[in-house]
Amino acid sequence: MNIKHVLLLLLLAIPLEGWARIKLITLPVRERVEIQLDHASATLVEEERIVPLVRGINQVDFSWANTRIDSDSILFRMLPAVSEAEVDAKVLSVSYPPNENALVWSVGADRSGSARVRISYLLGGLDKSFHYRAVASKDETSLRLSQFLRLKNYSNESYDQGQLWVGFGDRLQRPVGLNETKDMLLKQYAEVQIQKRYTVDVSKYGYIQEAKKKLKVPMHYVLKNDAANGLGQAALPFGKARIFQQDGKGGTTFVGEDWGHFTPRDDEMQLYLGVARDIVVKRTIERRERKKISGNLYNYDVVVKYEVENFKDKPVTLDIQEQLPRLRAELGFNNRRDVQWRLGGETTLPGSPDAEKSDADKLLFHVGLEARKGADKAKKQTYRLHLVLQNEWR
Amino acid sequence: MKNFRHTIVLLSVLLICSGTLFGKNLDLSTVPDRDQVQLTIYNSEDLTLVRETRVVSFKKGMNPLQFSWANTLIDPTSVELEFRDKAGQLQVLDTTFPHDKPQMLYWNVQSDSNTEARIEISYFTSGISWAGDYVVIANPGETGLRMEGFVRVSNRSGEPYENAQVRLVVGKINLVEKIAELARMPVAKVKKMEKREYKQLRHKAARRAMAPAAMDAVAGMVMEESAVPKQVEKEGLGEYFLYTIEGRESIPNGWSKRLRSFDAAKVPVEVVYRYRRQEYGNSLVRLYLLRNDDKSGLGSTPIPNGKVQVFRQNDSNGLSYLATRSIKYVPIGDRIELNLGKDPEVVFELIKEKVFRDNIWVRIKKGRVYKKVGDGSFIVDHKGTVAGWDEHQKFNQRIRNYTDQSIRVEVRRGYPGDVTFRSCLDAKSHDYRSVEFSAEVAAGGRADLRHEVITRNGYNAKQQRVKVVGG
Repeated sequence: MNIKHVLLLLLLAIPLEGWARIKLITLPVRERVEIQLDHASATLVEEERIVPLVRGINQVDFSWANTRIDSDSILFRMLPAVSEAEVDAKVLSVSYPPNENALVWSVGADRSGSARVRISYLLGGLDKSFHYRAVASKDETSLRLSQFLRLKNYSNESYDQGQLWVGFGDRLQRPVGLNETKDMLLKQYAEVQIQKRYTVDVSKYGYIQEAKKKLKVPMHYVLKNDAANGLGQAALPFGKARIFQQDGKGGTTFVGEDWGHFTPRDDEMQLYLGVARDIVVKRTIERRERKKISGNLYNYDVVVKYEVENFKDKPVTLDIQEQLPRLRAELGFNNRRDVQWRLGGETTLPGSPDAEKSDADKLLFHVGLEARKGADKAKKQTYRLHLVLQNEWR
Repeated sequence: MKNFRHTIVLLSVLLICSGTLFGKNLDLSTVPDRDQVQLTIYNSEDLTLVRETRVVSFKKGMNPLQFSWANTLIDPTSVELEFRDKAGQLQVLDTTFPHDKPQMLYWNVQSDSNTEARIEISYFTSGISWAGDYVVIANPGETGLRMEGFVRVSNRSGEPYENAQVRLVVGKINLVEKIAELARMPVAKVKKMEKREYKQLRHKAARRAMAPAAMDAVAGMVMEESAVPKQVEKEGLGEYFLYTIEGRESIPNGWSKRLRSFDAAKVPVEVVYRYRRQEYGNSLVRLYLLRNDDKSGLGSTPIPNGKVQVFRQNDSNGLSYLATRSIKYVPIGDRIELNLGKDPEVVFELIKEKVFRDNIWVRIKKGRVYKKVGDGSFIVDHKGTVAGWDEHQKFNQRIRNYTDQSIRVEVRRGYPGDVTFRSCLDAKSHDYRSVEFSAEVAAGGRADLRHEVITRNGYNAKQQRVKVVGG
């Protein structure tokens, strides 16, 4: 171990002015190291050491050359004595020498013996991130999700046996070497139910062919972070997800990667896999009629038409989403007021808007699309969204 | 004193001719040792009052004393000499600042007899500072915490102080000029720019405040290094608080020393989640709330400004780091608020569920006639323009608690304009433009706090305030 920071016990009662002169020292070794990675942006290292003390005042020197220890964060805690041999000691003061990354604790002991101490500090350069490997079943109904912790150690300090804790899952016992990057499997979820989601949203995803009003149809795997889908034990942290699919012959094929956003429990993580080319959605604004109420106050009667063709040989569900401020802007007027709207009677989109995911600014409908039958032409399904935008004026 | 930078020298009479000290090339001097030193350090300014005593032998007649302070940050205008005993027999006749030696002065002391006396020299120096800092460790259930306070004294004054009594002043001293700037100027210049008010203010603020200095209490004290932590005595002093560190401390130049000032092991703590955009930014934050009072084992003194490091104990004696925060001076009895930041296990969403407008008024022909839309009496006027309306926004403040404990959430939101806040929540006005409401959310539970914000716009706006109504 290339120790860059050391704990020294100065055996003689050396006054501070004697610093850096003749010293007799012992080097208490680390008995245990815990690396706490549960904070979003800081890494706390805790070292447990057994320090021999003599009766009276002892000088315990801690120095950390070339490491990014936050000197203000260093804590020295005496752990409660667990055996007769351990002494009860107290920290009397801490002295900081000039121009050095070091400090000296004055520790008072009522008798000679050893004491268990914990030294903890925030350490820069020891950073964590998370990433995922997802292997989808051949039928794309479930996937095996592996969650990894990646630890990059550029702190200039190594830890032979560090116990790592990220705030959830199991504690890991691993050595952390100098300048190492380490990927560690944190958790594996064998059977996570997934939904394959096709979505159109002109505001969010735009067109694939704007001149023909054909919308982009991105496809996502959607994992709901709840117990019913094999997850839900903790929030899923942000991280890159590499996605593979079983090929049915014992192997897997890489199908894409995406950033998985921080996903609280009961929320959905969406992983983008690409644009579906065999679902074609043409969106046109079929009607825009202004109805005067009085003066410059109008209602707008609007019909948005979706012509959908599913060229897949499987039925799929298409999510049709409309952002209402964007729709109003498309109609040629825009203002900073919220959109007041109601659904019109000519709406032919099936069912009613998704109550959980729709709000005052957004409408979401789930539309089932029939599969293409054999070599036949795909059936064109036409749906209409009839909206009355109320009380608008310029 | 090993590496002394400033000295007091008793010049031998042999070399003094008719009281003229200067222009001689040969000197003979004796150097009386420092007997006691007291440092009174102010954290609000870069200012320390040093009082040191020495025992000096005087002969009958004139006794020249030289005081020098090369390479230190002493304010030359502040140096004063007093006789702690035999004051009736000794008298300072004059003080001279030689033109060629900027960091030196001479006193001519007239003595009525051959005697030995204790003199006290006091002066202000910069470069010595102190700061408070705190460590808070909450128990695993976060029902209580341990709060330790520390004071850290740093000496960058150029002068080592050994076995000094250290006193720390908590409070803000009024100074018209920074002492550090003065110390780097020649005496003559300082003298010229010195203002009466400056001296009066500083002396009033510092010296008089320190009048009851307990120097004599330290005198003759046998210093024995103790294996128990030193106590920090606290006492009120006018608008200030004075911390006196037990015994004496040696702080070499360049070093800092940190000592514990208090340790409260069982401080009750309240955990609260708050949304207050102005205070904590645009997110729900988790707070520890505690009080500087007797019940907490605190409350004996105000808590000075300082950095607080907050941890929570986990099992196996380990700690989780929560946050580092700065606190401002906390008077006795006042609340201490530690912002721990966002909690990923609590989801806080504001969902706008519905919007509609009503009570719409149209202005006719750009005149002063207003008509309400839909009141039946209105004749269509193509040139009428909307002049006033009420905007209704229905919100759901949804809180999902995935922690294993019930939590209390407090929400404060501001609304500009003429607004009515309508809800079945137990909401109340915080001030004329903001509303507060709160909820308890069970472990694993969810709260949907629905409310309606009605904003009167344009012609309809009559006030600038939020009115809270039920229903």
